[in-house]
Amino acid sequence: MIIALLILHGLLAVTLLGAITHQAISVWLPARQGVETFVGRMRSVSAASYVNAVIVLYLLTATLGAIIYPNYRLNVRIVLEQMQLYWQNGSFELKEHFVAVGLGMLPAYWSLWRQPLDNNHARTRAVVTALLALIVWWSFLVGHIVNNVRGFES
Amino acid sequence: MIAARSFSTFAIVFAVAFAILYLLSVENNWALFTYHPALEEFGLLVQKPKDGPAMYWYGWLATSAFGALAIAGVAACVPVGSANRFWSGFAWAVPLATIFAFVYILRGYFTK
Repeated sequence: MIIALLILHGLLAVTLLGAITHQAISVWLPARQGVETFVGRMRSVSAASYVNAVIVLYLLTATLGAIIYPNYRLNVRIVLEQMQLYWQNGSFELKEHFVAVGLGMLPAYWSLWRQPLDNNHARTRAVVTALLALIVWWSFLVGHIVNNVRGFES
Repeated sequence: MIAARSFSTFAIVFAVAFAILYLLSVENNWALFTYHPALEEFGLLVQKPKDGPAMYWYGWLATSAFGALAIAGVAACVPVGSANRFWSGFAWAVPLATIFAFVYILRGYFTK
């Protein structure tokens, strides 16, 4: 059961990663008109259309992570400590705190992206989106590394 | 329009208050409840580990969420003119500062 939840957690995280990355890229590197390349199309997505998906996916991924967290605490963290894998352990500690800070930013993120967009808050909107993207990327990479840690280190 | 501005104020103050309260909760262990994963038991406030580790993360989240909800709720009731004085950039500046604070607090893991 835990493995199924862990896989689902990972799949949701991949979806969230895709959504927030597309949004952040389209905000920070908007495409010039008429560009029809793969990267150009990625940069020209409608950033506002990702907001609800990002919020729902963030909440679902974090909730699922919270459900499987006790299993990590009992069966993985103790092993990391015994194997003296300090930076892997510390990275996960940072992940739990970053995710928590991100949860607190979600109402502001939603408010900043509410239609019609307020141009006075364009910079704030862009930075909040980038910060959430950073949190999601950190969490995804750390989760992936910790999941595979024995493969890395043995 | 006023409701929209009030929510905007609420959301910005919530982001700020949540980040600060979460940092304080972690540093001072202000957990609203404790989870004992080995026993699959919840206990009110901070409890010592019983038969395995104790988890405070859920309790820190609850403390921060309820505290931020109260603070942001009060801020949203402030008249619109005063509320406009809030710089919206606090919504990222304070969480970012909190992230740096956690990196500093946990630096020991990366220097061993």
